[in-house]
Amino acid sequence: MDSFSSPSSGSSSQFNSDAFKDQLKNQLAQAYAEEFLETLRSKCFDKCITKPGSSLSGSESSCVSRCMDRYVEATGIISRALFSGPPH
Amino acid sequence: MQQEKERAMINEMVAKLTTVCWDKCITGTPGSKFSSSEQTCLQNCARRYLDMSALIMKRFQNMQ
Repeated sequence: MDSFSSPSSGSSSQFNSDAFKDQLKNQLAQAYAEEFLETLRSKCFDKCITKPGSSLSGSESSCVSRCMDRYVEATGIISRALFSGPPH
Repeated sequence: MQQEKERAMINEMVAKLTTVCWDKCITGTPGSKFSSSEQTCLQNCARRYLDMSALIMKRFQNMQ
């Protein structure tokens, strides 16, 4: 699927900058999602799978679950601390 | 466009700081919620990073 094809309706001689901006936003969002996922994998593997066994145990799975929740929470805490803290 | 750039930079910074501060502050196995000392550590971490950044800029300018 050619994701860069121009829209068939309207002025095809003009570059549609709105469509371009939307595409850029989507790709940026996707890139962030992938980066975030990679960070989650890395952090939670470190914290939760300390001695890899022959399968994921129940406690390892719940640890990963909690780890993901905590990491998302941490992102919120950092974000708020940066942008709504006391002036320094 | 400019707004998007700023938003992207802010997201970058938050993401980076979160990985750094997570390593500094969450030392044990993740629990079902943060302790208040973990929360405070995360907040302090972000703010002290900004303080340090300002300090570095200031000193760096004096080096020029």
